[in-house]
Amino acid sequence: MDDFFFSLVLAGISVGAVYALVALGLNLTFWTTRALNFGQGSLMMLCAMLTVHLAAQGLALLLAVLGALFIIGGLGIFIERFAVRPALKGAGSMGWVVSTLGFGIFLQGVAAKWFGAQAVAFPDILFSAQDYVSVFGQYVSLQYLVVLLVAVALILLLELFVRKTVWGQAVHAVSLDPELAGVQGIPVRRIILGSFIASSLLAGVAGLLIAQIGGTVDPAFGFDLVLLGFVAAVFGGMGSSVGALVGGLVVGLTSKLVGGYISTAAEHAIAFALLMAMLALRPQGLFGRIEVSKA
Amino acid sequence: MTALRAPLSRIVANPWAQAGLALLLLLGCYGLSSGTVQILSFVLIGIIFAQSINLLTGLAGQISLGHAGFFGIGAYGAGILAKTHGLDVALGVPCAMLLAAAAGWLLSFPAGRVKDVYLAMMTLGFGMIFFEVVREWSGLTGGTMGLPGVPSPTLRTLRILGVKLDGTAYFQLLLAITALVLLLMRNLTQSRIGRAFFAIHTGEVGAGSIGIPPGSTKRLAYALSGALAGLAGGLYAHLVGYLGPESFGLTRSIEVLVMAIVGGLGSIAGQVLSVTLFTFLPERLQVFAEYQFIVYGLILTFSLVVLPRGIGGLLLEPARFIRPRALRAAAALPAALPPAEGGGVLEVTGVTMRFGGLVALNDVSLTLAPGRITALIGPNGSGKSTLVNVISGLYRPSAGRVVFAGHDITGLADHQVAAARVVRTFQDPRLVPHFTVRENLLLGAHRLQRHSALAALLGLPAAIEDEARHLATIEAVMALTNLTEVADRVMATLPYGTRRMAEVGRALLAHPLAVLLDEPAAGLSEAEMERLAQVIRDMKAMGLAILLIEHHMDFLDDLVDDVVVLDSGRVIYRGDIAGMRCDREVIAAYLGTEETVDA
Repeated sequence: MDDFFFSLVLAGISVGAVYALVALGLNLTFWTTRALNFGQGSLMMLCAMLTVHLAAQGLALLLAVLGALFIIGGLGIFIERFAVRPALKGAGSMGWVVSTLGFGIFLQGVAAKWFGAQAVAFPDILFSAQDYVSVFGQYVSLQYLVVLLVAVALILLLELFVRKTVWGQAVHAVSLDPELAGVQGIPVRRIILGSFIASSLLAGVAGLLIAQIGGTVDPAFGFDLVLLGFVAAVFGGMGSSVGALVGGLVVGLTSKLVGGYISTAAEHAIAFALLMAMLALRPQGLFGRIEVSKA
Repeated sequence: MTALRAPLSRIVANPWAQAGLALLLLLGCYGLSSGTVQILSFVLIGIIFAQSINLLTGLAGQISLGHAGFFGIGAYGAGILAKTHGLDVALGVPCAMLLAAAAGWLLSFPAGRVKDVYLAMMTLGFGMIFFEVVREWSGLTGGTMGLPGVPSPTLRTLRILGVKLDGTAYFQLLLAITALVLLLMRNLTQSRIGRAFFAIHTGEVGAGSIGIPPGSTKRLAYALSGALAGLAGGLYAHLVGYLGPESFGLTRSIEVLVMAIVGGLGSIAGQVLSVTLFTFLPERLQVFAEYQFIVYGLILTFSLVVLPRGIGGLLLEPARFIRPRALRAAAALPAALPPAEGGGVLEVTGVTMRFGGLVALNDVSLTLAPGRITALIGPNGSGKSTLVNVISGLYRPSAGRVVFAGHDITGLADHQVAAARVVRTFQDPRLVPHFTVRENLLLGAHRLQRHSALAALLGLPAAIEDEARHLATIEAVMALTNLTEVADRVMATLPYGTRRMAEVGRALLAHPLAVLLDEPAAGLSEAEMERLAQVIRDMKAMGLAILLIEHHMDFLDDLVDDVVVLDSGRVIYRGDIAGMRCDREVIAAYLGTEETVDA
């Protein structure tokens, strides 16, 4: 195996893990409301931005991270309450696609106004960019490994949560039929709210990890990532955790390999081509279930 | 606001006012600075672009997050044809428009298969791919360096058919084109095509049941929308003279969506107002430009809550969907019911329907004869509606055949079954809620309307006559179904019983030979039920084969000729209604058997 190929595969797996994390966050709200937060990218950006600025105020780095995550969780509540809940009352998905997208743009605008449009350096939280381990004679950035590990760990945890815990079962019940779940005494409202908070936190964590890898963060950061997260989620099948991981890796690997062997320019285009092909041929994705609707 | 709506709507709809405004702009632009004329030109192009979203999302209900793609295809198409190939603008822009229409038509194939969020993502993907392709295909598009030197008035290089155009002249040309687009859009919403778009928007199942094919209707919507966006793009290219990929990214797609939503999806005049507002505000208010992203974001977040129908919905009365000229022509025609024709026999043979492991229908056979009413009864969950869904083409049966008038209609799509003249109604009426009763009934006649799309768009006599003929039939059907009084009331404001009756009336408009009525009497008052019974008898007299699902035994008693009883997906009784009442198996199905009580 030549080194070039190997390094492409490594890079593909690493970015794939990031996409998987983003897809996982999207899945969470999809479970409970069939809605996705199109502004997820802005949450990623804001979490990283806030961390930088809280740290710049002299806060200890860990506290800055916690503070940023706290605010992002609060925004999750806001999004559910003001962007998604009113829109779900209407028919179709037009409402929340537009309102969550709008909120994302709003956050991006606020960040640009407040923090400036320039990229700012992101501090090292766990490892610096210079930390490497050697795998098969290749240097692999520890940060990439952390992202991969975090993604896999979160996916396992989520699967365990949904399968083994009472609350997980409740989430499952809400995803199948919120009305029926409500009649059976499941606090539907709280579960939906919880899913938005968790989804936002996941976006925040993903934002931190990616900002850590890239080293900088700017207001437009996150937008492309969340688009590729969508591609991963759709490819693996909306709502499936394993699908999110597989989808993320497939998208990451394909785009890096195409980028390496054909043209870096085609990296993104190939991902979106994958998305459209999958939607056209198998809208439920690799691991998704077909939604049966009664006529 | 409500008091303002009526006079405002009258002014906006007044052809003299429209012509006056156009004339004012046409002549007034000589007195304006070239900068203002330039901004006004952007407004006009924005209006055409917003109408393109309005058509696809507002009318046909298909969300698009990648409309900048079509706009870009038009712009680069026109730019490259004019600059690189030296084609005349009068030819280049229409070519670019066709190119964008073709792109829309192609996109509709994958996009037509998905809905909601998946559609949002697919269109997003389309927009992103276009953006990436433009950026990277430097040989054709100039890549990130852009494509400078497209013939334009700012460069003083714009010539159309040999005539040199300056900024003002180009504005006047844009004005004429925009006026034409708005006129055609108005005609479209008041034509069979526009109404079909709204029907698809409301629900594909309901549309299919009266023979409106969702697939080809959506393809037309995508192609037309692509054409409009392409036109806007082509005109834009010749206005600015320089094309860079950044002008055709996601921001542009979102911007036009914001304008269309704020204007009010479905409202043509609303789009005009909204585009004007959004183009002038950033120019005139520096503050607005500075906070543009924040403002756009806030508008998108809250518009659907605060202003659900946009500026158009706030200031103007809702549009109507039949041309007044067709209504006037119809008034002169005699009201006549659809002609009675001998119908065909509908034969269901050995139909089995499995959903995974569940057998919903097990070897069901029945025959509907012309001029006979067959009741299909059975406990809840016995498979009655499933059978109607199989016959009407919503489900493809696992086994068995459905034959109508000698033609095998097994497994045909729902709109094809309707075209074979087997028409159904639903347990919950599937009508277009913001259409009036008359407009909903006219949808029933959609599959019989034969005038060309061009005639519909231009409002040619062929279209008017065709519409008038069906409107006259509607008059008779409304008299039959007791809907005349509420003919021009919007469906959503009417009581449930009236809506059910309207759905039956709409089915009649499709000139069926067999009708399948799924619990038409559920939720009706005593008086409404009597009326319905009379309508069903009239349909019988017209020679239709009728299948009637109903629980109401009193309602069925003196109405039906044959009875078929289903239980757990099997036919357990076939015969007349008196015999059914003492059939042991039927009694057991409804009340349980004595053995189970003993045991």
